[in-house]
Amino acid sequence: MLHILGAQKTFFSGKPDEKVALDGLNLTLDKGEFVVVIGSNGAGKSTLLNAISGSLMLDSGSIHIGGHDVTRVSVHQRARYVARVFQDPMKGTAAGMTVAENMLLAELRQSKARLRVGLTTKRRDWYREQLSYLKLGLEDRLDTRVSLLSGGQRQSLSLVMAVMDEPNILLLDEHTAALDPRTAALVLDATIRAVDIFKLTTLMVSHNMQHAVDYGTRILMLESGKVKFDIAGDDKVSVTISGLTDHFSVKTDRMLLGAEYA
Amino acid sequence: MLEVFSVFWALVPVTLAQSLILSFVVLGVMIPFRILSFPNLTSEGAYPLGGAVCAVALLAGVPAFLSIALAFTAGFLAGTLTAFIHLRFHIHTLLAGILVTTMLYSVNLRILGKPNIPLFREIKVFDYLAFPFLSINAGKILLAGLLGLLFVLTLRFWFNTERGIVMRAVGDNSDMAEAQGNNVNRSIFLGIGVAGGCSAFSGSLMVQSQSFVDVNMGLGILINALAALMIGEAITGRERLLKQLAAPFIGSIIYYQLISFCLAAGLAPSDLKIATGIFVIAMLAGPTLIQKRPVRMAHEKIRE
Repeated sequence: MLHILGAQKTFFSGKPDEKVALDGLNLTLDKGEFVVVIGSNGAGKSTLLNAISGSLMLDSGSIHIGGHDVTRVSVHQRARYVARVFQDPMKGTAAGMTVAENMLLAELRQSKARLRVGLTTKRRDWYREQLSYLKLGLEDRLDTRVSLLSGGQRQSLSLVMAVMDEPNILLLDEHTAALDPRTAALVLDATIRAVDIFKLTTLMVSHNMQHAVDYGTRILMLESGKVKFDIAGDDKVSVTISGLTDHFSVKTDRMLLGAEYA
Repeated sequence: MLEVFSVFWALVPVTLAQSLILSFVVLGVMIPFRILSFPNLTSEGAYPLGGAVCAVALLAGVPAFLSIALAFTAGFLAGTLTAFIHLRFHIHTLLAGILVTTMLYSVNLRILGKPNIPLFREIKVFDYLAFPFLSINAGKILLAGLLGLLFVLTLRFWFNTERGIVMRAVGDNSDMAEAQGNNVNRSIFLGIGVAGGCSAFSGSLMVQSQSFVDVNMGLGILINALAALMIGEAITGRERLLKQLAAPFIGSIIYYQLISFCLAAGLAPSDLKIATGIFVIAMLAGPTLIQKRPVRMAHEKIRE
């Protein structure tokens, strides 16, 4: 489903603060794989996600999604293959627009926007149904402005918007990190269910080692822009937190907190 | 005091016609600023551009309606030029608008050939409404009012279509709109273009209304439009699309009556800019004075 070959990305090239974010990274994902990406700060996790979504162009290397070469394809043209939920709940939704309008925008990812009435009754019914799976009562607030929703509700909406059209690749960029523990659990639960139902090929960045142990079918650890280790199958099932944290060469406070907190 | 009111009262219909014609400039300021989050000063140049194009077309014998369409097109192009300068070279939207307005002054002079031209003999759009039972001024109010209604209803329909919703999303959260597979630049080009077109449209109606075109007719129009918009939004609010679309028209009607009152009260025309400036400041500062608790301000983007 996803093939990344020799991905290379350097920031501030040729300057004193040059930073190699991706260093010849190779990665192949099969359909339906749920990969949890871990790694210390600056390991290249966000750069990897940005490269897949198209918000960063690679210096060299190639990216194929579902057989299409998307290496030079812009964000908006890649959107039909890739859906993304950001860490910041503000980023994934248009605050001044209603819940239903946001859902419409997500639906239009797969088709061209036309000159016809957007929010038809049929659509509204479908959105109501999609939102009802979250059990947050959002289905009764189709005409509420998103700015009036809580962070957790906004993030849940972003999630529904990301998965409703069954994208080829789902990118989750620490999407529960900004939420309180209860809401985070709720959103994560909904995520796992959606990934399960639609058999979505998923890349989830997380600093929470417990998540890496509990969820997903594969763990990918990045370091200095390369894959440090990659475990799947039975090894993934038997992995433990201490087994994972031993691999971190630099243990930042945040990771330790994440591990204990979980 | 009574005399001031009687002078003001006598001016109400004329001012109403003027304000309806100028409300399209307010619309041309509102769309970029409120819907696309693209504060834009192109109106100041697009308004006289529309006037110049329309006047020259009328002089060349082009029918009035077609001249207006030409003016709208010219304004549309001016708007897209501003959008292009911003999107391609990453020049700030305000500066891009000032640059285009400055350049348009020379363009307008080239189009007209001289600083001002009277348009007495040409058949103007308001002449089609010259019925015996309708005064000239009433005809202007009727036509400009109906056109305004048409614009509001068309825009309301447009902003509820799939493409229109995408355009609103671009203004609301352009990163998100792009991540959802929308070509952000195309929405901006179209939106800023239409806004420039609205301003030029207003200019084309104005030269036909006053039978006269002057290259300096746009001087200060932008700040007048902004003042009108602030007043309109203070009255209608902005929660719903229809209110946002109606604000330019309601604001324009009230603002120009206020100006007319200032004139009736004996304010010299040269002092009007001070009055306008005070209106704008009052409308922007008003909420901070009225509300005791600090709340999120509707106008924070220009107030900063």
